[in-house]
Amino acid sequence: MSFIPISLIIWLIEDLLYLIIFPGLVTILVLVIVIIWLERKIAAKVQMRFGPLWVSKKIGGALQSLADLLRYSFQEVIIPEKADRLAFILAPGLMFAFATIALIFIPVGPYYSVLFPSYYTILFSLALIIITPIFAITVGWASDNKFSFIGALREGFLLISYEVPFLLSVVSMIIIFRTYDYISAVQSQLNFLPGIILNPLAALVMLIVMIRTTGRFPFDITEADSELVLGLFTEYSALFFGVGMATPYVELYNFSLIFSLLFLGGWWPLNINVMNPVYGLFLPGLVVVIKAFIVMAILVFLRAVYPRYRLDQAVRSGWSYVLLLSILSVILSVVEVMFLR
Amino acid sequence: MSEKIFNIDDLQNINVEGEKYIILQIGPSHPGSGHMRIKVWLDGDIIVKVDPDIGFVHRTSEWLSERREWIKAIPIVERIMLPDTVHANLAYVLTVEKLLSIEPPPRAQYLRSLVAEINRITSHLYGIGIFGIFLGSSTVYMWAFGDREPFIDLMEMLTGARITTSYIIPGGVRWDMPNGFKERAETVLQYMERRLKDYEDIWVKNPVVQARTINVGVLKKEDAISLGVVGPNLRASGVYYDTRKHQPYAAYPNLDFEIPTMKNGDSYDRLLIRVEEIKQSIRMIRQILKDLPEGKIVADQIYNQLNPVMKKNYEEKKRVMFPAFMIHMRPPPGEATAKVEAGRGEIFFYIKSTGDKYPYRFRWVTPSFRNLPFFTHVAVGHRLADLPTIYGSIDYFPPEADR
Repeated sequence: MSFIPISLIIWLIEDLLYLIIFPGLVTILVLVIVIIWLERKIAAKVQMRFGPLWVSKKIGGALQSLADLLRYSFQEVIIPEKADRLAFILAPGLMFAFATIALIFIPVGPYYSVLFPSYYTILFSLALIIITPIFAITVGWASDNKFSFIGALREGFLLISYEVPFLLSVVSMIIIFRTYDYISAVQSQLNFLPGIILNPLAALVMLIVMIRTTGRFPFDITEADSELVLGLFTEYSALFFGVGMATPYVELYNFSLIFSLLFLGGWWPLNINVMNPVYGLFLPGLVVVIKAFIVMAILVFLRAVYPRYRLDQAVRSGWSYVLLLSILSVILSVVEVMFLR
Repeated sequence: MSEKIFNIDDLQNINVEGEKYIILQIGPSHPGSGHMRIKVWLDGDIIVKVDPDIGFVHRTSEWLSERREWIKAIPIVERIMLPDTVHANLAYVLTVEKLLSIEPPPRAQYLRSLVAEINRITSHLYGIGIFGIFLGSSTVYMWAFGDREPFIDLMEMLTGARITTSYIIPGGVRWDMPNGFKERAETVLQYMERRLKDYEDIWVKNPVVQARTINVGVLKKEDAISLGVVGPNLRASGVYYDTRKHQPYAAYPNLDFEIPTMKNGDSYDRLLIRVEEIKQSIRMIRQILKDLPEGKIVADQIYNQLNPVMKKNYEEKKRVMFPAFMIHMRPPPGEATAKVEAGRGEIFFYIKSTGDKYPYRFRWVTPSFRNLPFFTHVAVGHRLADLPTIYGSIDYFPPEADR
């Protein structure tokens, strides 16, 4: 055993802890459960209801989502006869997996580096996030259901219309920070100003794209229940359905983390140079996750306020206002870089 | 925002055979259909043809009523129009009263109008709520159904039942107004006026709602008349017609109220008109509570039939027990019709009596049935996402149309 350096073992254990506990799978699971509960509670508060209540009554029904997850786990799996079985079974899992893997490249502290240190984390995370909707389209195609298929087509239309503004808004932040790395982007915000003040247009575009991509209202178009039953997941049951329903929340978590890293100053007000797992990762990570949670809570609140847009309206605004805003945000960034520094 | 892509006239006689079009079977078990199958032909995202397949909840109300004593038709017609029970009840009773030549006393007339207007508010709130969930706003859905409750409680206080009241009987009403009802009603009305402002903020003036509904499902004035549309949908197209004004019944001749009309006839106007009618109903309820005349709540013909125990009950509890006359009622031979402006439009009743203990012919036309043709007419040329918008805005209730 002596030929394996002890540092390598520690490195591996640390990586596993990151991936499984914080900010990895366990954190995601807890946050998704909490945010679904919070969404239902906020909506209920607005709508003169109680919301989840009877499961764990003392803590306001907080375990309701967990109970739902358990119920999904023990339901019968029904696969339609004419469905493409392989795609039908794999697609939701892959969707969830890619949404989760993207998290590897989203550092929550200066000490964070999973698998390998990289200076291109922004690009890697974006690439992985952009893969997810492809599996959403696969889900709709594999189900052999007209409603799912229309949902998939809608997802495709919206994906194309909002991808460009999304990338442009990130590009404008890359121009300002002059880096492809989240950690140095946060460091430059700590030294100067948070990104939302430097480029509010990019922040606005990013918020709109977050709402769209994760299917929050008023862009709940692919799952429009009065038109498409449940959109993509009409034919799904059991755990596949649960995974499919949880994926948008994982995406929401990813996007909120990116938003707090790029625009809300990351782990500001903490400014730590100590490089160890507690001070370099856990504390700043906690700050980032809390910021992301607040962003998520604001976005899920929109459910109580807005109905949904029509597909053509959403696509049109994606190619007009939002694209225009994102181009303006790039121009703003260039101007700032030329004149402020 | 949305301009029609095709000309409607070209699409009326379109050939939908072949594989060019997607055929969607929306319903009968679909969150956006109600108890009805809507068959939709789609060219891409554009609706080419809509075929509502009515009859899924047909309950043979006419057949049943022709084989029962006259009084037993009241619960049957009520159960057809669940959000709007009082109007079905009232329309039937008005027809029977014409056959029997009974005129109810003024107090009963006012009580009938009172409970009808309370019912109209609950019916409109039901419609607004369903429209809300069709557009994706669960908030308005919950609010509207929650705000129905105070009015349903009022109905329970007045009639003893929440929904299927069976309150109106030939010759009058069953119960008199209880003590404390006026104060309670005033509280509820003030609450509703406060809530209407909230509805305006979150629903009527919501930019997404306006983007979704304005210029969607436009029904022109001439089309509305020629298609035989009734009720709020007709008035939203700018036609000034309301049975309460034009052929008044109950206490409406004595009440001061307006008939709101809109101009464009789109889905947004059909939403606005319901809000306006709620305001008018509130105004009418206030007038009725102020002007309610004293006197009996049943006509003398009925009152004289009561036996001493029933009369004692009437004097003490102000409740009418059914005399034997009600069960063995045999209206003289003849025909009678009646019209009532229900929440969704005009109910038309035709009954033929042969002097038997059952009606010989029992025929009624409900507003939802008359509003359906225009749904197939205006939906053509819109996008699939507009189908629930239009369908929700016409406030269609499938059991009511199927009868």
